Amino acid sequence: MSVVARLIEARAARRQKPLIAFNAATLRLGGKTIIENLDLQVRPGEFLCIVGASGCGKTTALRLAAGLYRPTSGAVTFEGEEITEPRREVAIVFQDYGKALLPWRTAAGNISLALEASRVPARERGARIEALLRKVGLPGHADKYPTEMSGGMQQRLQIARCLAQEPTTLLMDEPFGALDAMTRQGLQDEVLSLTQASETTVIFVTHDLDEAIYLGDRVIGLLPHPGRIGIELDVDLPRPRDQLATREHPEFLRLRRQLFDFIKATEH
Amino acid sequence: MNRAAILWRVASVLVAAGFIAAWQLVTNLKLVSPVFLPGPDRAWAALVRGFSSGDLAGKLIGTLEHMTYGWFAASIAGIALGALIGSSKMMRAYVAPSLEFLRPLPVSAIIPVAIAMLGLTQGMALFVIAFGAIWPIMLATIHGFAAVEPRLYEVARSLQMSRTAIIGKIALPSALPDILAGMRLSLTVALILSVVCEILAGLDGLGHWVLLSARAFRSADLFAGVILLGATGYLTSIAMSLVEQRLLAWQTAAR
Ligand SMILES: Nc1ncnc2c1ncn2[C@@H]1O[C@H](COP(=O)(O)OP(=O)(O)OP(=O)(O)O)[C@@H](O)[C@H]1O
Ligand SMILES: [Mg+2]
Repeated sequence: MSVVARLIEARAARRQKPLIAFNAATLRLGGKTIIENLDLQVRPGEFLCIVGASGCGKTTALRLAAGLYRPTSGAVTFEGEEITEPRREVAIVFQDYGKALLPWRTAAGNISLALEASRVPARERGARIEALLRKVGLPGHADKYPTEMSGGMQQRLQIARCLAQEPTTLLMDEPFGALDAMTRQGLQDEVLSLTQASETTVIFVTHDLDEAIYLGDRVIGLLPHPGRIGIELDVDLPRPRDQLATREHPEFLRLRRQLFDFIKATEH
Repeated sequence: MNRAAILWRVASVLVAAGFIAAWQLVTNLKLVSPVFLPGPDRAWAALVRGFSSGDLAGKLIGTLEHMTYGWFAASIAGIALGALIGSSKMMRAYVAPSLEFLRPLPVSAIIPVAIAMLGLTQGMALFVIAFGAIWPIMLATIHGFAAVEPRLYEVARSLQMSRTAIIGKIALPSALPDILAGMRLSLTVALILSVVCEILAGLDGLGHWVLLSARAFRSADLFAGVILLGATGYLTSIAMSLVEQRLLAWQTAAR
């Protein structure tokens, strides 16, 4: 076998192994079982969306993957290794960007926080910050404070700070939940182009079923009390996705129907 | 500055001028014996005389020294203790009740204790001033550290920031508005206690000057000292708010 073939095979094998795996993960908080026996494998490079009724445990599942919670029983692993603490290659985009940004630091300063934590030398930071701001569509806003920016811009800034960590995995908790429809669609496409090119793995929590199908390679629907998987759909829609064409695709409509029925049934 | 702000400024100057004019009138009409109440003219003359003869400047420096040393000591200790207590829920639960017991104690109550332990010395003054000035700073710091947005700690965790980096880059800047407000309150406390200690222990300072002037019925000198004390309080407070404005520029950026 040639070296190239072996490399390709090794890569394929790696792709088969899950990057993040929930193995019968159960989490109890304050005497309540919030997640029960969750089994879930996330492949490297996959874009996985999680939907479910409010309070069904989506955020909690994401926090388990982030290492912000540890399971009461079972395990959550990253590259086969148990997750005990947050790690730098896994970045978290919080829904409440207003609380996740440092109000006393400018846009550049907020991005710098991640670079400082990664020990990037001071003289390299300026150029990196500029590149990141350009990447998320905020060029020329380096000296603005978060409070001087719109919601969409603040969320872009948080994403830029996460990208500064150079993560292999992005965990996003309803990142666009508080934004208007137009800003939302723009950011959806930006996140897709940012993550698809670099083969970043994404776990994306959302309330919006259309958004989940539009973005995802796979959509998981959670059932509440306690949180567990109720439905799993593979999304076989061509990439790159397109706001108009994808949303009119018959497969999109079929999946949408299936998800709606599922959510409706969980809400009875 | 907008029109309203200018009007307020003009009005406050007018009120001050009116006050001085009324004071002059009262003394001119001898409504109060000049032995007790000198006019602004005599008080001003005493002030100028005090500075040119060199006595008053030395006293002023003495008071400023007591005040700043005590205030600095209180700030360093208050911020350090406040950070320690405020950043841990357990510490807050354990320490808060004792703080609530100590806090309302008037500082004057511990002055005899300090004198008994340290004598009528500079060390006693430093201790009393620092002890009195530490409370606003420490309580504000505790509050500031307890009120740090928990989400920011999660951001710090996900960036794997070190403990010192978390304190220096997240907790301290977040608590800074509270800390500065506490430090500003303490400035006044430190000035008051400096005067009290100078009077009690006969330490070189404006408090001592005021006391001696009163004993000798030199009311003009007495008033010169009091005016100087007022000016000190006013100017240090203004300096403090300038520092605050600079350090907290981000708070006004949105408007
Ligand atoms: N720290 C906690 N202690 C006790 N119960 C909790 C805690 N955090 C969350 N819960 C409960 O766990 C359940 C799941 O919460 P979670 O935030 O994961 O839901 P969610 O699916 O993200 O909801 P939403 O869509 O509203 O964001 C809820 O019933 C919530 O009340
Ligand atoms: Mg949630």
